[in-house]
Amino acid sequence: MDVPPISRGFSSRRREQGLADRIPPGQYVTTDFPVLSAGPTPQINLEEWTFALQLNGWVLGEWKWAEFQGLPQTTIKTDIHCVTKWSKLDTIWQGVSFDDLLKAVDLGEAPFPYIMAHCDGGYTTNLPVVDLIGSKGMIATRYDGSLIPPAHGGPARLLVPHLYFWKSAKWVRRLRFMEDDEHGFWESFGYHKHGDPWKEQRYDGD
Amino acid sequence: MTAIERRTGPARRLEWQRAKVRQVVVETSRVKSLLLQINGWQGHLPGQHVDIRLTAKDGYQAQRSYSIASPSEDEIVTLTVERVENGEVSPYLVEELRCGDQFELRGPIGGYFVWTIAIGGPLCLISAGSGIAPFMAMLRHRDRRNSRVPTVLLYSSRSLEDAIYRKELDAMARSDSDLRVVGTLTRIQPEGWAGYRRRIDKPMLADACFPLDRNPRIYVCGPTSFVEDVSSFLIDLGHDARTIKTERFGPTGG
Amino acid sequence: MPENDLDFVLDGNAAAGALQEIFVADVTTALIQCDACGSVGALGSLPFYAARMGVVLRCTDCAAILLRAVRTPHGRWLEMRGAHCLRFALA
Repeated sequence: MDVPPISRGFSSRRREQGLADRIPPGQYVTTDFPVLSAGPTPQINLEEWTFALQLNGWVLGEWKWAEFQGLPQTTIKTDIHCVTKWSKLDTIWQGVSFDDLLKAVDLGEAPFPYIMAHCDGGYTTNLPVVDLIGSKGMIATRYDGSLIPPAHGGPARLLVPHLYFWKSAKWVRRLRFMEDDEHGFWESFGYHKHGDPWKEQRYDGD
Repeated sequence: MTAIERRTGPARRLEWQRAKVRQVVVETSRVKSLLLQINGWQGHLPGQHVDIRLTAKDGYQAQRSYSIASPSEDEIVTLTVERVENGEVSPYLVEELRCGDQFELRGPIGGYFVWTIAIGGPLCLISAGSGIAPFMAMLRHRDRRNSRVPTVLLYSSRSLEDAIYRKELDAMARSDSDLRVVGTLTRIQPEGWAGYRRRIDKPMLADACFPLDRNPRIYVCGPTSFVEDVSSFLIDLGHDARTIKTERFGPTGG
Repeated sequence: MPENDLDFVLDGNAAAGALQEIFVADVTTALIQCDACGSVGALGSLPFYAARMGVVLRCTDCAAILLRAVRTPHGRWLEMRGAHCLRFALA
């Protein structure tokens, strides 16, 4: 197989900056925030927006926007890693942690071990609950102090920064508990079921 | 069978080939044309594009698409690249790349957004910014073949200095009564500018484009929002959607 | 920076290179019919999302997904459940 010619003088802007222990294998740091969507940005009316936790046919809890803002808020600073190889460090998010959502519906623990996130526009992604509890996941409504812009998933997106960013589903509307694992939009179509960037679990078969 | 038909041939897998920079031409303060030699190049149709791939020393790769700006009659393949602020690839191509440098390229790609004189006219080409590139391939092809297909190019640019290929287009139009080149400068206009001074809108399209009863073939190229706006104006004016072909450029070209 | 978020969306023309890895012929000139709403158009004219993760082509009218394609180190994936049919011109 031919080795591709090196383009003299070309280098990624996304240079590793001596932060090797923060950057998973194969990733490059960017200061941008690239937008990647599988569909058009939904126009969402905050008056009509709701977020729900769902178990089979049951709604365990449902919140309108103002109610959701009234839940305990958590702010985190974290790194995010996209499967398309960019990583962005020290991003600041605010929202409601998954742990606090469980408390808000009086659950000591999740009723089933898996979650499917359902979003405006039809996007889905699946996660084991263990990847959400213990402060690992939240429903984020603010990025860098301001409401998340629609192109970046506003009014609310799932945020699970320790996994590849396709799991941090934009425009999330409900989390559905599942007894058995099912696969979401990308997981059922070539991408890895789990998506741990530190194990470079990008694709089905990795 | 014409030279173009022979060259496009049967379908085959796209392979990455090596392109060598033969010449770099400054078009505007932000835009350069790269004239490339590609051994084994099979030819192309005006409007087609190529994918290029750059590889850094550490193995990092970036891939972008660019329209071919040269006519099918040329052996040399020309890409016209606009430097995008904070872009990753375009600043390299516009500021760093030198004659003799090489990169990978595959193509030609895309049979949808294509025009040749065999397709005929009247022809209406509408572009914003660097969206004019595929239209240069079409116009240069039309010029080389001494075609009299009635043609209008309506281009939108921020300023006269940013209007790519302006001198070449003026020269083409001067010597060809069947070609009209109409410009609109949306931000700054020089003293004595007699052309339009605003973004392309419905009245401008009604004036500049061929009337409905001439049944023009229409091509629109530029940023997505531009292409979608112009397409809906054209449909409002009564043009059949099937006579309009669009190509959206976007920031992934950065 | 693009002035408009919409400018991040390209069209099937830009997906042509990736699709030609699967369909040896150029599929962007084929007419494609949406199974959901019946709308027909050239594949090259469809809005193209998710570039870099894969190809997602959606119906211009109703935004239903007509084609998805992904290339991974382990193989290529293609689905076209949302398309009723494709129609290619004879060469």
